[in-house]
Amino acid sequence: MSQPLLVVDDLHTTFRTTAGPVAAVGGVSFDLATNETIGIVGESGSGKTVLARTIMGLQPRTNVEVRGSVLLNGHQVVGASERDMRELWATDVSMVFQDPMTSLNPVMRIGRQIDETLRVRLGMDKRAARARAVELLAMVGMPSAEHRYRAYPTQLSGGMRQRVVIATALACSPKLLIADEPTTGLDVTIQAQILNLLDDLKQQLHMSVVLITHDLGVVATRTSRIIVMYAGRIVEMGATRDIFYHHRMPYTRALLESSPKVSNPPHTRLRVIPGRPPNLSTLSAGCAFAPRCESATDRCHRERPTLENAGEPGHVFACWNPVARTSSHEGDLRHG
Amino acid sequence: MSSVLDDAPAAEALAPKRLGVLFWVCVGWLALNVVGAIFANVLPLVNPLFQNYNAINVGPSLHHWLGTDDLGRDILSRIVYGSRVSITVGIGAMAIGFGIGLPLGMLAAYRRGRLDTVLTAFMYVFLAFPAIIAVIAVLSFWTPRSLFKIIVVIGLASVPLVYRVIRTATLAVAARDFVTAAKVQGATDGRILMKELLPNIAPIAVSFLLIGIATVVTLEGVLAFLGLSVNPPTPSWGNMINESRTVMAQNPWLVLFPSLALCLFLLCLNFIGDRLRTYFDVTEVKL
Repeated sequence: MSQPLLVVDDLHTTFRTTAGPVAAVGGVSFDLATNETIGIVGESGSGKTVLARTIMGLQPRTNVEVRGSVLLNGHQVVGASERDMRELWATDVSMVFQDPMTSLNPVMRIGRQIDETLRVRLGMDKRAARARAVELLAMVGMPSAEHRYRAYPTQLSGGMRQRVVIATALACSPKLLIADEPTTGLDVTIQAQILNLLDDLKQQLHMSVVLITHDLGVVATRTSRIIVMYAGRIVEMGATRDIFYHHRMPYTRALLESSPKVSNPPHTRLRVIPGRPPNLSTLSAGCAFAPRCESATDRCHRERPTLENAGEPGHVFACWNPVARTSSHEGDLRHG
Repeated sequence: MSSVLDDAPAAEALAPKRLGVLFWVCVGWLALNVVGAIFANVLPLVNPLFQNYNAINVGPSLHHWLGTDDLGRDILSRIVYGSRVSITVGIGAMAIGFGIGLPLGMLAAYRRGRLDTVLTAFMYVFLAFPAIIAVIAVLSFWTPRSLFKIIVVIGLASVPLVYRVIRTATLAVAARDFVTAAKVQGATDGRILMKELLPNIAPIAVSFLLIGIATVVTLEGVLAFLGLSVNPPTPSWGNMINESRTVMAQNPWLVLFPSLALCLFLLCLNFIGDRLRTYFDVTEVKL
């Protein structure tokens, strides 16, 4: 394989707050090959969104410290000015935001919102941009795209809006698409449609995709690798299959056990993870998950585990008392 | 009603909202005022300064439609000429207020950081001081008074108010994802301010502008009442009301008509501002 499209190396994003520094992302490293989809999974507050925004070069300029390196198609994002980033945005990296209700300008016709990018970034003239925008709308499965071109966002359903958001993000054929919980506000059936759409478009346009979610069902069949994040760090990373069947980190296991499965008998109680995600400003020296972990020992509270190899290629985890090697979660991946 | 399977957007969803008859009546009245103010010297009106000693304090008649004042001057003519001052001050002062307050407010809210802190603190210091006192004080000492000075003083006094409204409106919009989305799609700051933020705050800005004009017209009336506006005998609605005060018992028409003109003008502005806000609010879904 040639050089990866995205190389994130020891990335730290620290917010300076009145309560002291908060390490929202604390030393994350991974890479992403061209045309690969990687899933980032974790609870709310695990640093997924901050990680995504840091990779995009979107963190606020004040009261934030970013260390480490993000190489995007050979360009260093960390420390890049907004002017530099403008060269990369839309053509190299683009983003689909969480909430389709707020990521479209309510007073601008949806066609215009797609046009803008084409005209600003690709220098298309009005007519060419319009034709391309309609094409893009059709590509994301917008029925009667020609008509909808003139619609306002409020005239569309959530699913349709998310399609518009995706069309806008893909307008300049970015090499990398970051989708930050793209289906959070949508119905389950629409969720599947949107995810399948992203998958198809990825194949068509040879993009790489970072798919951020708190729903393991979303990433199960659509990613080649999964990163599990907890308290701003990677706690386990590996091929999707390995994460589902051979996970070693108790947090990953807890996440898997807390999502419903079709194979379960009716009325099975779901496991819950006791406690709450930790406050990032008061992290202990030990493993951040230790207070909620059933297999935690003294060592877990004292010493933070580092990522170590789990055996399978590319599969790493951070735990002193890993889940036994023979995991019992063999089953259908397509449970979500 | 089209069938459920019909793909085309429902016709009624795209049908324009209606502004209503009353809106157009108000627009018509304002237009009449503005046209009158512009073409006052072309219209077949008596000279507003001509004193006819044979017709003092007469009520409405064929010769003088709205009667004459205690110096025998034609009230209709004076109201039309008076609207020049009132309307010029209203529009001029708001042009200054919005010309400075709007860009500053938007920029501060979009950029945040030090610029916002400094500007906002500065504006709030001025807001803490009662504007009308400041306006009266400045105009009392800055003589000789002229229309231009009145416009500048009221205009500058309105800047902090405009700034505050615009900044708050922009803050609410700038935090939304579509602004970040636009940025990520390569839009420059100028484009974001003009194309993403401005249209979103436009409904608030326009209605505040119209209400602002109304307020300034009233303020000019207040100043005129205190003798701080244009010097007599130049008529303005405010100083007409002021002058008529002494002869109110003999000639109530004198205070009624200019007050009515002022009232109707303000009412129309407010009504139009309100209707426009509703009309342009595309976020108000029609269900």
